[in-house]
Amino acid sequence: MAEVLLDALVVLLCCTGIVFFIGGTVGLLRCPDLFARLHPSTKCDTLGACSVVLALILRSGSSFVILKLLAVVFFLMLSSAVCGHAIGRSAFRSGIVPWHKPGVEPLPPEEQ
Amino acid sequence: MNVFLLAVAAAIMANAFLCLYQAARGPTIQDRLISVNIVNTKALIVLLLVFFVIGQPGTYLDIALVYALLNFVVTISLCRYAETERGALG
Repeated sequence: MAEVLLDALVVLLCCTGIVFFIGGTVGLLRCPDLFARLHPSTKCDTLGACSVVLALILRSGSSFVILKLLAVVFFLMLSSAVCGHAIGRSAFRSGIVPWHKPGVEPLPPEEQ
Repeated sequence: MNVFLLAVAAAIMANAFLCLYQAARGPTIQDRLISVNIVNTKALIVLLLVFFVIGQPGTYLDIALVYALLNFVVTISLCRYAETERGALG
């Protein structure tokens, strides 16, 4: 009984991961702008990858493997957040103007 | 269960190819960086799934760990390059 429950949990977590991966891909293909694309890409990294790795943690037997998988999750979280910020800052500093809907006035630039 | 894990890996790989198409399409270098970052993450997850299907994942997991760290370093350094060169690569 416990094994069936564990397998069901693994399947559920993997399916959640795939849903978030597909969402990330659709967002990446459909978003109009680089700054909008940063949002689905980081979701894909954190939620999708972390739920699949959590499923693998449930399947793995030894605590050594679990420790290494947790280290992978830690680096994924770290790199996803920091890379998203770094890419956004790099785009902003190289002078890419954020997209706005045609016909809608963009927000005025902030007072320096 | 192994067949299911392989199916998950196949679905993620299909997603990764779509992201690679976006990387070829993206107009600026930062667009390409976002796409390549996602492709790296997906490749890492596929790697982990394949390790678990093969069995004895403890011996192979260091590769995944190094891959995650390499992904981080590559993206940060390319961002820095694009920022200082003012998008010289277009």
